[in-house]
Amino acid sequence: MTNPTPKKLRQQFADTMLAVGREDPTLVVLIGDISHFILQPFAQACPGRFYNVGICEPTIVSMGAGLAKAGLYPVMHTIAPFLIERSFEQIKLDFCYQGLGGNLVTVGSAFDYANLGCTHHCYDDWALIKALPGTQITYPASPVEFDTLFRQTYRNGVLTLFRLPEHQHEQTFVTSDIQFGKAIKVKDGRNLTIVTTGPHLRDALEAREELMSMGWDPEIIYVHTIRPLDTELIRASVCKTHRVLVMEEHVRSGGLGDDVLRTVHDVANMQFSWIGIHDAFIHEYRPYSLHCEALSLSRDGLIRHVKTLMLD
Amino acid sequence: MNEDLRRKIVQMAYDGKDGHIPSAFSIIDIIELLYRDQLKIDPKSPEWSERDYFILSKGHGCLALYVVLEKFGFITQQDLDVFCRPGGILGEHPDCTKVPGVEASTGSLGHGLSFAVGIALGLRIRGMNNKIYVLVGDGECHEGTIWEAANVANNLQLGNLYVIVDWNGSAAQLMPRDDLPAKWRAFGWETMVVDGHSEVELRAAFDSIKFQPCGKPTVIIAKTVKGKGVPMLEGHGVWHHRIPNEVEFAQIMETLS
Repeated sequence: MTNPTPKKLRQQFADTMLAVGREDPTLVVLIGDISHFILQPFAQACPGRFYNVGICEPTIVSMGAGLAKAGLYPVMHTIAPFLIERSFEQIKLDFCYQGLGGNLVTVGSAFDYANLGCTHHCYDDWALIKALPGTQITYPASPVEFDTLFRQTYRNGVLTLFRLPEHQHEQTFVTSDIQFGKAIKVKDGRNLTIVTTGPHLRDALEAREELMSMGWDPEIIYVHTIRPLDTELIRASVCKTHRVLVMEEHVRSGGLGDDVLRTVHDVANMQFSWIGIHDAFIHEYRPYSLHCEALSLSRDGLIRHVKTLMLD
Repeated sequence: MNEDLRRKIVQMAYDGKDGHIPSAFSIIDIIELLYRDQLKIDPKSPEWSERDYFILSKGHGCLALYVVLEKFGFITQQDLDVFCRPGGILGEHPDCTKVPGVEASTGSLGHGLSFAVGIALGLRIRGMNNKIYVLVGDGECHEGTIWEAANVANNLQLGNLYVIVDWNGSAAQLMPRDDLPAKWRAFGWETMVVDGHSEVELRAAFDSIKFQPCGKPTVIIAKTVKGKGVPMLEGHGVWHHRIPNEVEFAQIMETLS
């Protein structure tokens, strides 16, 4: 008997829009000519609330703000760099400065579109959105996380980014495990805290046994809400272990690592380390898994990193 | 026309030592007529759900909007008196988080129309009959988002959306192939061209619009004069963002008296 193929995040997005849209007549979805077909059930169940606006992302964002001004709850969906980087000023001025709430749902997380190159990569989105006061960022890497986090936040009057990765961690969570703004302690440990995000929860879990054979007892904290960050859980863990390693598909500047370091910098005898995307564009054409391996965002990379950089 | 409001605009800029006087003079006659004659509004209830919306997308012309908002009771003379001063609510661009009656915080050109498209669509989804007016500059029409929004509004048939273009010739200084009526018609909009300083022509254009939540959006291209009303301010010279000195202030006020 084989394990069923997990539902894709993008399919869960479509399913959640359908379910929430049926309950809430104020939910409106704008897309930039992606996910058109999988959103047809929503379009048919919620007539007049689905618009494939085309390839004009800044206008999609401004329109979303206008919908919010008119008393509706907008969802804007397309590929990450076009929705976040190209449309940043619209997000800043039309949503955030004016105090309007909305939901940015992106695909093409970090370097998911591995061979499409820099135009379709987006590994600075958290830094950009975090630079805007009052915003929220989630990174759900399993279907139940997206469904739960969306329902918990989409009407709270704040601009929220949902970064949907193509790859999942395959850890089983249930709805009651998921609380917006709260990280999840997946494993207790004693002398090393691994703060991990997205699909790399799997790497941390897979590396744990070998790390234990090396004398490490890692505590694994999984973060699905990048902002607001669960600083309480992270700080409590690092106060116990005094060593923290962050794994993220994001550039260093403005990423999760920065926020974790800010959270624990004054913990006595604390050692900090980080695996992510260094200050360079990714130029190579290669599959997602090889991008991860090259960046040490993998089981083996994590073990190598601990061996090299984490001193006993 | 509207000499009293023009005097207030000059007084605010002179006292506040900031502002775009010619840009405000270019649009004051349009905005005053809209608030006096066209918009369904309630100054005592700026957020009234059945109101019509006016968005000044070329936010740097906001002195014209401020004096009209004061004239119709949204804000006070005291607010005008502290333009661009600490503690005041009026800055060099309109701010909807501070100013009653301002629907959008604008200033970065090319945002207001796309935002208005969203409002127009949202109100139509909600079954409301509000009208949404947006005033854009002709220079602002260099922004790509203007044409994104024009294309979307036509395809969504937002008949509750009305654009006024302040066609004062700013754009043609840089890009002389400036046939705005042809461009808007090509984007499928009901297009009118009027004298933007003629109450008769403006009213006739506004009155001719038949409200229809689902139909062609309308653009009124208003031929205007930047700095209209004071010859020394007219045109595209140094006065775009210049504040008059004491002598010039007296000359301008004399011209408007």
